[in-house]
Amino acid sequence: MDGVLSVLYQFGTNAAFLLLSAIGLIVILGMMNIINLAHGELMMIGAYVASSLYHSGVPFAACVVVSFFAVALVGVALERVLIRRFYGRELQALVVTWGVSLILAQGALLAFGPFLASIPIPFGSGTVGTFSFSWYWIALIVLALLLVAGLWFLYYRTAFGLRARATMQEREMAQALGVKTGRVYMLTFALGSGLAGLAGALMAPTTTIAPYMGQQYVAPAFITVVTGGSANVIAGALGSTGFLSLAETPFTIWFGTFIGIVAMLLASLVLIRLLPKGLSEWIQRRWLS
Amino acid sequence: MSDDRKKGDAPVNGVNHSASDSDRGNGDGPELGVSRRDFLKGASVAVAGSMIGGGLLMKGVPAIAAPESKTVNIGFIEDLSGNLAVYGLQKYHAAQLAVAEINQGLTLAGGPVGVGGFASTGSQAGEPPKVRLDTASGEVKVAEQGGGDATSGILYGEDDEILVPSGEKGLLGKEVELTAPDGQSNNRLWQQLARKLIQQDKVDVLVAGFSSAEREAIRPIIDRNKQLYFYTNQYEGGVADEFTFCTGAVCEQQVIPVVQYMVENYGPRGFTIAADYNFGQLTAAWVRAYTPLVGGEIVGEEFVPLSVSQFSQVISKVQAAKPDWVMTLLVGQNQSNYYPQAAAAGLEFPMASTINMAQGYEHLRFNKPSLARMHNAINYMPEIPTARNRAFVKRFFEMFPEDPYLGQMAQNTYFSIHLYAKAARLAGTTDQDAVRRVLESGWTIEAPEGPVFLEPGTHHASHYIRMARADENHDISFVRDWPTVEAWWLQRLGVNLVGRPEHKQYTPQEDKFFPMLQKMAAK
Repeated sequence: MDGVLSVLYQFGTNAAFLLLSAIGLIVILGMMNIINLAHGELMMIGAYVASSLYHSGVPFAACVVVSFFAVALVGVALERVLIRRFYGRELQALVVTWGVSLILAQGALLAFGPFLASIPIPFGSGTVGTFSFSWYWIALIVLALLLVAGLWFLYYRTAFGLRARATMQEREMAQALGVKTGRVYMLTFALGSGLAGLAGALMAPTTTIAPYMGQQYVAPAFITVVTGGSANVIAGALGSTGFLSLAETPFTIWFGTFIGIVAMLLASLVLIRLLPKGLSEWIQRRWLS
Repeated sequence: MSDDRKKGDAPVNGVNHSASDSDRGNGDGPELGVSRRDFLKGASVAVAGSMIGGGLLMKGVPAIAAPESKTVNIGFIEDLSGNLAVYGLQKYHAAQLAVAEINQGLTLAGGPVGVGGFASTGSQAGEPPKVRLDTASGEVKVAEQGGGDATSGILYGEDDEILVPSGEKGLLGKEVELTAPDGQSNNRLWQQLARKLIQQDKVDVLVAGFSSAEREAIRPIIDRNKQLYFYTNQYEGGVADEFTFCTGAVCEQQVIPVVQYMVENYGPRGFTIAADYNFGQLTAAWVRAYTPLVGGEIVGEEFVPLSVSQFSQVISKVQAAKPDWVMTLLVGQNQSNYYPQAAAAGLEFPMASTINMAQGYEHLRFNKPSLARMHNAINYMPEIPTARNRAFVKRFFEMFPEDPYLGQMAQNTYFSIHLYAKAARLAGTTDQDAVRRVLESGWTIEAPEGPVFLEPGTHHASHYIRMARADENHDISFVRDWPTVEAWWLQRLGVNLVGRPEHKQYTPQEDKFFPMLQKMAAK
């Protein structure tokens, strides 16, 4: 019993880590097709905002919410100044966002030093038999699922979502039908940035808040989104996090952390080879249509 | 310098000096150790002006005039940004403090003592010495192997004041300068910077390196250019390099004391979590080999890549193994998150380490009680309550009031730069070959941790090892101490860099001793 729970918990934390790493990128890469290499730095800014507020006495939950809006604003500024000039030019956007990531990380280093004060992990620990666990990770697993559900609701059940999907699929047609596509792009980029900031703030207690902290999330985020594919980004994200942590968890248990990561990368490699359009296209075909 | 010691016969146990001393010296009995101490008295009090010591030691060393330069240039690379910045900044500031002191005309007490060295020579005394040793107070203490006062054992001095006038401002009439680019925790950049400092800036000495990966990245460049090089980190041991002086503590000095303490106090079953690169792998090999010797066993090992900061699965594995204690050898800002995560998941095993707290000050960075019951056999922590250390800590924080910590390797960097200056002053030149030869005379320097002896044959240093323990409030107490532990492993392998230059790193796999221990563990 303890053993089963322990394995489930390990699976859940691995999946939640991937989902939170990827949540902002699901929107920006999955929907807008912008290869945003500054994704990790947006998460870093979220963590910085959360840490600064937390240490000036703001409750942690409020810090997380403020991080969302603060980083969304950063996203608006980035989109207006730079990103909007690169829609449809994926490779140029890649270079530009890489440059932005360097500027943000080095800027944080110059402005705030090598790291910020850490945030204690909330909620403490629980025990079942001999197995003990962190309540905060349970909360993160639940929150990650809620965020994805919220994203699904926004994009598939609201008027904004309809206009946004229309804009991403057929920009000129949407424009002809009266959708302000420029605004949709801006809001979508802001949403993606805000979610990255939110995820950064949520992860902040579990990691070291430092200028280069974003780098640890970039690779998992891209692997998750690419493995998921863009046919249905939400189904893709859920499917790929489940699939990848299903590969990672047992191999980490049997052979250690390094082999676990290798197994995850191999699994995504094999999957993309077999399903070049990603897991979501397959899910869509099998179950959703 | 003649050096006819029989290195291969050096003792297996690092703290047992009585066996080694019969091999030491050039046929000197213990009586001659007295004259060596007398010599030491002269040499270390006034190193700069010590004509006798200078003449004696410089015999056979050609006095090559250094190329004309207005400053003595110390090349210095550490990571001031990136994953390892948490350590680099302290080391950089400690180097700045040492350089400032040299330029003010100050030096650390100590001097060349010959190949046997102070603190290790005294171990043959059956009773406290009748000869006045050269400590500023003249007072000498005696400790038995496991620490604690005794009437016979290891001799050591513990002066309150270690900073003394050097006789000149600067070094050899020149100002000392630090050229210190940022390595950015990036091994490739390290190679470029090392090349630039050596070939373009033509530094007189290079002091550099946090991780073993960084050191191994630049060591080939150092050897090719015959660059005098100090590696001041605590590390896995085994570097036998003609041009490299390793002044940090190594596995045999830390692993054996800490493993013994953990087995004696908490039980036989240990679990190792280590960073997945040469340092973590090799240190874990030492832990695996030595735990059975003190009646324990390693029930599980987990190696974690440096980029990992999420430990849920590792924590679950430790939990499933139910060890009596956990050896954590975690490196970098990412990995230090193990501690708060383990505490949040309810892990309460006693912990041991050779690096954590003393380098990345996890006990100050993370919330209580994440580091409760952490034990580390350190050679330095700023919490050491001796007067000489309190004075050093005060000097450091007067210069850098904003700094969060002054760790183990910052202290090593500090005394290493002073040691370099003393050696160059005695050599009368900054010519790298000449300074290296003088460094190979066997030096004792009074560091903030205690007396440190730089052994000529292996280019490694003896250290004053203390067992630091963090309580629930993350307050540090020192529960046991070993006044002098030598870095004996390379001696045991027969390394003698003075007589037979080498440029390699030995690993435990090359030592027949280790497979033997593994077999013992398997039984």
